[in-house]
Amino acid sequence: MRAFIGQLALALIVATACAPPSVGAGTSAVASGGGPRRGGSMVIAASADPGHFNPAITTAGGTHFVADSLYNGLIFLDEKLEPKPDLADRWDISADGRTYTFHLHPGVKWHDGQPFSSADVKFSFEEVLLKYHARTKAGLEAVLAGIDAPDPDTVIFRFKQAYGPLLQRLDVVEAPIVAKHIYTGLDPTKADANLKPVGTGPFKLAEYVKGDRVRFERNDAYFKPGRPYLDELVFRIIPQSNTQVLALERGEIDYVSGIPGPDLERLQKNGGYTIAKSGAGSGGSFCITTLIYNLSRPPLDRVEVRQGLAYAIDRQQILDQVYFGQGRVATSAIASTITWAHNANVAKYPLDAGRANQLLDAAGTKRAADGTRFKLEFVHATSFAKIGELMRQQLAAVGIDLQLTALEVNAANDRTFIKKDFDIGAASYCNGPDPEIGVRRVYVSNNIGPILFSNGAGYRNPRVDQLFDTAAASVDRGERAKAYYEIQDIVARDIPDWGLVETEGYRGWAKRFHDLSYWSGDLAEAAWQEP
Amino acid sequence: MARYVVRRMLQAIPVLLAILVATFFLIHTAPGDPVTILAGDGGDQAYYDAARARFGLDRPLPEQLAIYLANAVRGDFGYSFVHRRPVFDVIADRVPATLLLMLTALAFSTAAGIALGALAARRSGEPADHAIVVCTVAASATPAFWLGQVLVIVFAAGLGWFPVQGMTTARGSPAGPGAVLDVIHHLALPALTLGSLQLALVTRLVRSGLREALREDYVRTARAKGLTARAVVARHGLPNTLLPVITVVGGHFGTLLTGAVLTEIIFAWPGLGRLLYDATLSRDYPLLMAMFIVASVSVVTANLLTDLTYGMLDPRVRLA
Repeated sequence: MRAFIGQLALALIVATACAPPSVGAGTSAVASGGGPRRGGSMVIAASADPGHFNPAITTAGGTHFVADSLYNGLIFLDEKLEPKPDLADRWDISADGRTYTFHLHPGVKWHDGQPFSSADVKFSFEEVLLKYHARTKAGLEAVLAGIDAPDPDTVIFRFKQAYGPLLQRLDVVEAPIVAKHIYTGLDPTKADANLKPVGTGPFKLAEYVKGDRVRFERNDAYFKPGRPYLDELVFRIIPQSNTQVLALERGEIDYVSGIPGPDLERLQKNGGYTIAKSGAGSGGSFCITTLIYNLSRPPLDRVEVRQGLAYAIDRQQILDQVYFGQGRVATSAIASTITWAHNANVAKYPLDAGRANQLLDAAGTKRAADGTRFKLEFVHATSFAKIGELMRQQLAAVGIDLQLTALEVNAANDRTFIKKDFDIGAASYCNGPDPEIGVRRVYVSNNIGPILFSNGAGYRNPRVDQLFDTAAASVDRGERAKAYYEIQDIVARDIPDWGLVETEGYRGWAKRFHDLSYWSGDLAEAAWQEP
Repeated sequence: MARYVVRRMLQAIPVLLAILVATFFLIHTAPGDPVTILAGDGGDQAYYDAARARFGLDRPLPEQLAIYLANAVRGDFGYSFVHRRPVFDVIADRVPATLLLMLTALAFSTAAGIALGALAARRSGEPADHAIVVCTVAASATPAFWLGQVLVIVFAAGLGWFPVQGMTTARGSPAGPGAVLDVIHHLALPALTLGSLQLALVTRLVRSGLREALREDYVRTARAKGLTARAVVARHGLPNTLLPVITVVGGHFGTLLTGAVLTEIIFAWPGLGRLLYDATLSRDYPLLMAMFIVASVSVVTANLLTDLTYGMLDPRVRLA
């Protein structure tokens, strides 16, 4: 028995170590020929079993990737993250930026035939999203004054002060709308209804074989004329991305959402697949692989040391060798894909060992007899192990001895964000559709706490705090961008953390499918298949 | 016999209880927090506090254990944090797939192992024997995750003889007898992967046991009275060789379960192994606990069955 537990533990360690790193990030257009036509079925690889079909109670990517096709948000975010109508046809924003009025699409029906109305929206937010959807709760609870449903086709969001990024928070990933008549009086986290989902979305649940597949069929009563075009979606659960790619090549499935670097060239050469770069996806988008410096530990508390590190780390090498060129070297705290907020003209630290040595000398860290200045412990998830190995070589050149501590991902996050026991940590910080969603949490001083993916560096700068508040409290993009530009200038000088690579994921699918919204939760609402 | 079984089952209770308590503390003291994992990239302190209170994780560990045991006695093993359903419902969905995979691997490896072992023993010293010995040494040194990948690349992706993944065809599964063939087609590679280690062990045991048995006097007698070589092996050699094989097959039930975790991940097989892997990554405590209970009970049961079979095959062993 003891041997069995030991073997099981060993197997788990091996399995964990082999867990593929998550990919994210970028956009590109896909060409499509001819017009959409009805019919057909698409088999999609899902990396995880969804477990249930209520995307409003979780931010888990595995649930959203599958379940989002059953629901709608008030807003659909297009490829450029611009808000487009979904359940809401149009919206007005008051001049003071404190009141948003949404006019809902009339005549929308739930899958069970009941009419959809503003009461469902109010209920979804008040009873489900603001209680259980971690990002929506963290983002809106403090700023929202109330939600009104004056008539069945109108919803009004009232804020305590002007609030800019609301529309980016209302797509099906951030705020799926669930049915009031289904969940009233139930604990939405335990309800059986989560396995018998009733949504408004383009597809309805037909079959769920746990751990194996989920089959959706067309919602014939969908409120967008003609859509969806496909009769059936099958999500096939395949945990390993290399198995997904092999299955795609054998024609067992039609769509994979993460192509590992070594497989990409083969698929591109094959010619039978459409390959799209995307920085977005369920559960996170526009992610930057970032080094987190523990600012409370010498010598990293000195900005000269952090600048020295910046000059010494060869990020291009990391991009080429670890990410197989999938992505870009990070240039500032906000991803370049959020074009209106990204500031490309911040302080730059091109690779320069001489400059690095100068700064480290100036910081008073002298080399010992063996050439070493000091040791730093790099606590990281095993998915960042190759980055650690490269950095160890790169930093050795300027006299820094980087000690590598590779842990299972949850254990590494625990050391970095909860116990704060690290010199350098690493995380993939996903920016989300707006800096308010994914960037603010990394730099504001009231988010230094035992929270995952928070301000892990322990960075405090009152001016930065103030600028994030300014940016959130405006509905004017120009004004918001100005605040974000200044934040990026300050962060590039202070370097509380160091963005390495803006990662990008490659999605691939059989060429006969067109118009996939691969950046969004509603993957296949507009998708169609050539005969 | 019945009394023996009852006694053995009673003895299993303290063992299971000890396993339960030990795994409870092991799982809870492992770094990583289910609440922060569940919240993912988002969440704030208030969300964490609410979730901890909801799952009872805000109480001291011994108190959590007491509550868990009290509920378990009443048959309530809790809700999965991730699946939000009673844990045994979640497990029950996955049992058939794993059972099918494990039993197939077990049956195949035992049958093929006996056949190959017998062949090697009869051809002792000939090329066939040497080939079998080399192959079994290689097989027992090959990790399942590597063998699985190689089989997929060669026989599924390369030659196209078998599907790459899954238990059934995702695109319009066939019905009736076609469905059975479909599952068998999907089952071949994972069962081979999972059974290969066991196959090697059984082959070597049978080979060495039979080589010894074939030198015994009673075998010479059987030959002398004119039995064919095949009958000598089947009726006189093998039965005495099978006892250690039963022990190995039964005793390796745990190894098989462990191997199933890796095999299921490689082949996207919808069974318990993958559930265990996912539950570990998400620190789904109630589900992990329940799975350890299921695994422990299975292993204890397998050991009991092994002992009982032993008693039936060998009249010298008295079960009382």
